[in-house]
Amino acid sequence: MIPAHGTYFEDIDVGDEALTPAMTLTEAHAALYRGLTGEVGGDPGAIPDLLPLCLSTGLGWRFARPPLVVLAFMGLDWTIHRPLRVGDTVHSRARAAVKRSMRDAGVVIQTHDIVDQHGDVAQGGRFTFLVAKRGTAPA
Amino acid sequence: MTELRRYYDEIEVGEEYESPGRTITETDIVLFAGLSGDYNVLHTDAELMKTSIFGERIAHGLLGLAIQSGLFSRSTRAYAALSFTSLRWKFKAPIKIGDTIRLRARVLAKRETDKPDRGVVTLARTVVNQRGEVVQEGETDVLVERKSA
Repeated sequence: MIPAHGTYFEDIDVGDEALTPAMTLTEAHAALYRGLTGEVGGDPGAIPDLLPLCLSTGLGWRFARPPLVVLAFMGLDWTIHRPLRVGDTVHSRARAAVKRSMRDAGVVIQTHDIVDQHGDVAQGGRFTFLVAKRGTAPA
Repeated sequence: MTELRRYYDEIEVGEEYESPGRTITETDIVLFAGLSGDYNVLHTDAELMKTSIFGERIAHGLLGLAIQSGLFSRSTRAYAALSFTSLRWKFKAPIKIGDTIRLRARVLAKRETDKPDRGVVTLARTVVNQRGEVVQEGETDVLVERKSA
């Protein structure tokens, strides 16, 4: 069974772009992340390198479009262009780059950029998802 | 005083590290959902997931990626790392609640940059569960300080 409320493979058009609301990165984000992951860090003003990446999918849940019905997250390629600091405000810009239909589902490659308050891309890359098709329950 | 961090020049291609294990709990997943805002049913709806191919909730892939990064710091003396620069990553199998994962890492390559005070170290990383199955794997490039002469 898969949820009725969602964005399915058929609902995605290559080139679709989504801009999320922005979020200010705080010491609380950094401290929670370090506690959860065991990442060490001496500088309390630094945002851990992989934290913005970890926020990139969740930022997409902050606006009204139904969430992508992901069956599996297959992989990612990611580049970190420059560090972020506590107090920076980021949003995510996602675009459907590739769609490949398979029998019961489809592969979607999205480009994601983490953009700061100056409009500069701090991190970015490509996510590969296996996405459900409407009406085909996963085996 | 002994230098605690290892510099680019001291790291050798072929070095291997293995981290301690870490058991992934429901709490880890709930905290990660709260921190990231990713409430996908894969990670949050126990009843729905009983009917899925996984049979239960699974950890966010990015949670596994973040935890292996933390495990790296427990697997060898810290690099004098400046930052990650890039990563290429595959999620091969689900991490379920109660699974114990560990990181195996190997230095694949070293590359000098146009700046004399830093170099790039490429690590091959494999995350395995308690049955020895590979759940995630990939390569990461880390920018590491060079020892000043």
